[in-house]
Amino acid sequence: MTRFVIRRVLWMLLVLLVVSFITFTLMHLVPGGPWSREKALAPAVVAALNARYGLDKPFFVQYANFLLGILHGNLGISYTYQDRSVTQILMQGFPKTAILGTTAFVFAMIVGISLGMAAALRQNTWIDYVCVMFSTIFASVPGFVLGILLMIVFSVVLHWFPTGGWGSPSQIVMPAIALAALPAAFIARITRASTLETMRQDYVRTARSKGLLERVVLIRHILRNSLIPVVTVAGPQFAALVTGSVIVETIFSIPGIGRLFVQAVFARDYGLIMGTVLFYSFVISVANLVVDILYGVIDPRIRYD
Amino acid sequence: MKRKTVVFSMLAIIIAAILVLAPACSSGTTTAAVPQILRVNLGSEPAQIDPNQASWAQEKSVVSQVFVGLLGFNQDLTLRADVATVIPTVANKGISADGLTITFKLRNNVTWSDGQKVTANDFVYSIKREFDPTLACAYASFYYDIVGGEAYNSATNATDAQLATLKDAVGVSAPDDTTLVVKLNNPQPTMLQCMALWPVYPVRADIIAKYGNNWTDPPNYIGDGPYLLTEWVHQDHLTFKPNPNYWGTKPKLAEIDFKEITDANAALAAYQNNELDIVGVPSGTEKTFLNDKTYDDQRNLFNDLTTFAFQFNVTKAPFDNVLVRQALSCAIDRDSYISNVVGGIGKPALSWIPPGMPGYNATIGSQYAFNVTKAKQLLAQAGYSDVSKLPQITFSYSNTAANTVRAQFLQGQMKDNLGINIILDPEESKTFTTNVNSGKFMWAYFGWGADYPDPDDWLPSLFGTGAGNNHTLYSNPAFDALSATALKEQDNTKRLADWDQAQKMVMDDAPIVTIFYRERFNLVKTTVKGLKTTGMDGGIIGDTFFNEVSISK
Repeated sequence: MTRFVIRRVLWMLLVLLVVSFITFTLMHLVPGGPWSREKALAPAVVAALNARYGLDKPFFVQYANFLLGILHGNLGISYTYQDRSVTQILMQGFPKTAILGTTAFVFAMIVGISLGMAAALRQNTWIDYVCVMFSTIFASVPGFVLGILLMIVFSVVLHWFPTGGWGSPSQIVMPAIALAALPAAFIARITRASTLETMRQDYVRTARSKGLLERVVLIRHILRNSLIPVVTVAGPQFAALVTGSVIVETIFSIPGIGRLFVQAVFARDYGLIMGTVLFYSFVISVANLVVDILYGVIDPRIRYD
Repeated sequence: MKRKTVVFSMLAIIIAAILVLAPACSSGTTTAAVPQILRVNLGSEPAQIDPNQASWAQEKSVVSQVFVGLLGFNQDLTLRADVATVIPTVANKGISADGLTITFKLRNNVTWSDGQKVTANDFVYSIKREFDPTLACAYASFYYDIVGGEAYNSATNATDAQLATLKDAVGVSAPDDTTLVVKLNNPQPTMLQCMALWPVYPVRADIIAKYGNNWTDPPNYIGDGPYLLTEWVHQDHLTFKPNPNYWGTKPKLAEIDFKEITDANAALAAYQNNELDIVGVPSGTEKTFLNDKTYDDQRNLFNDLTTFAFQFNVTKAPFDNVLVRQALSCAIDRDSYISNVVGGIGKPALSWIPPGMPGYNATIGSQYAFNVTKAKQLLAQAGYSDVSKLPQITFSYSNTAANTVRAQFLQGQMKDNLGINIILDPEESKTFTTNVNSGKFMWAYFGWGADYPDPDDWLPSLFGTGAGNNHTLYSNPAFDALSATALKEQDNTKRLADWDQAQKMVMDDAPIVTIFYRERFNLVKTTVKGLKTTGMDGGIIGDTFFNEVSISK
């Protein structure tokens, strides 16, 4: 197992390097730069800005400087938010996005697994149809529509929740629901399919015929085994949720990093783009690694060399 | 039975939790004295609130609360002496007879928020810092008429010793604590207006030296204005409280909250949920709010100093022919644009300089009033009585939802009125800017807002040969000559007459088709009193006079 983890970590470093190089190249190929504005800045000012941020150096020198910075633990400086480093910006925003993402993940897992299992255990009854209907609806309504709808109903009309921002638990509820809807639907469907398959297995029939209580059969045999495919998707889902959603964060004004990356690309903030991309790649790689390790824990049949 | 119970009870717990949390979180009403808190939406995170380096409207909103400069603008856009005792003129010897030296006398009771006195040296430091090439301040070029400014600002590869010499050579000095002397290369009458802008607000040399880039974080952000920035939660909100050591009239508000709600519709929802006191009406909903009676006493409309136009690239056929440009200008129904595209907010524009500022002349451009017959005649004169002979015309714009509607309107007008098919070319925002700035366009959407309320901010840098913001590539030696004299003309009446002539010259040549003068449309709660909106407002309406606002029941 240790050798497996070490191999994966080495691959991860390689992936990060390649990702950083591709992003760096694409970033500089795209037309426009951090200083392009409709009201053009004076050429002397642009020259001074380029000198200040090292943008007047050759391409590979800039990339090398960036890598050197990474080795020293410095993700670079932002060109738009000039009073903070990229690390500071990410550290300020990431906890909020992570908390929101984790809350949404928990919602999605609870609702998704419950709906999925209920549907499977009561297949072809009204419970099944209702659960499938809900999961289809949640999978079809886009995040921004759901977000605005929640805001109008629960804030503007009912005044139950504030419309956005961050700081109190009541401000997490609506964004978490909007964010959790699609993953919940997805998880529900997978849980349902997987539970149905597990229920048909021989060992379940054996367990029942042994005289075990239905509850014991459910928890000890069905639940754990039907969750394996759910774990497969849960890992990447968690990574996606934790790195944030542009749309939900924009609508609910969550000061996280979800919308930071998109804004940085539009602003051609090279420093912030590189730092954020690396950060995201790192988080996703680690999440995938954790999922793979969890497999070994959940399913003893899976072994890594 | 038991499985069902488990599943259902889990769902029930979740729903119950939400229902319990919800009412507990709704805000209760207070019966105490009305809290003097103003909550507004800044809309986005200000990137840089250092006055010397700030350049965007949102940043200006923040700087205006915490700093006061030598001069300011009244609501009618005339100048006002703030830290200076009087506005320098030739008559009061504030401006020398040759116009090359401006002397400001400062009040001696002006203090920083930590109690120290504001002296002329603070202004000297600030102005020199504005030219510092290592900072690359966006607005430095506005002050290039100050002796030594441009040389210092352009010295990007100089040694420290060379930089020090250049810095010393900048023509600002403080003979004593309450006198500031500014030396100019040319007599530039609008330098006074530039001195009223935020890039030359005073800043504290010792604070900046001590804290470096962190000086803009509270509590280091020391200013001489009516408010203090007490809290900045990045990407979320900024909070201002009154400056206890303010030397002027104490503001009435006890707190101002600048929220950072980026989505316009979310901001509107926040206003309707009583979380904001002022909000901008989202694009596309203007008609609803204009007609809804419940908002009768909450509407706030005023003209912004901004004009929007479609700019031609006058080097690309058929736009190298002035008759074609004039023809297309006559073929656009601007009234229809106002009512159909911008929801009835704004005024149709035939001239370039907008109403509400010196230089506005309603008669200029009147020859472009909507007249399809005239347009066809002009086209025929240009040799295009058969419009299919025209080269393919492409209209470029930045691909926002609002711009798409504008472009489609233009496409419709060209087709319906003249039978010309134009191709629409939406581009990503910065790509569009880059293409326009390098001349890679035929016809593009374009707007200009005043940096300061004077014609010399609207003409030479846009229409002078080779000027920095001249993307039409328009070149007219007569205009250049007239601009050169007008920029230095000390007799204000003659100066404005010169600019009027220059504006007419440009509009007669039609390198741009002006479409409308923008108005800002906001909703303001009836509890907000004393709000003064001006054409020089920053990101939030009335933000240059927040020190006069109060909240009533």
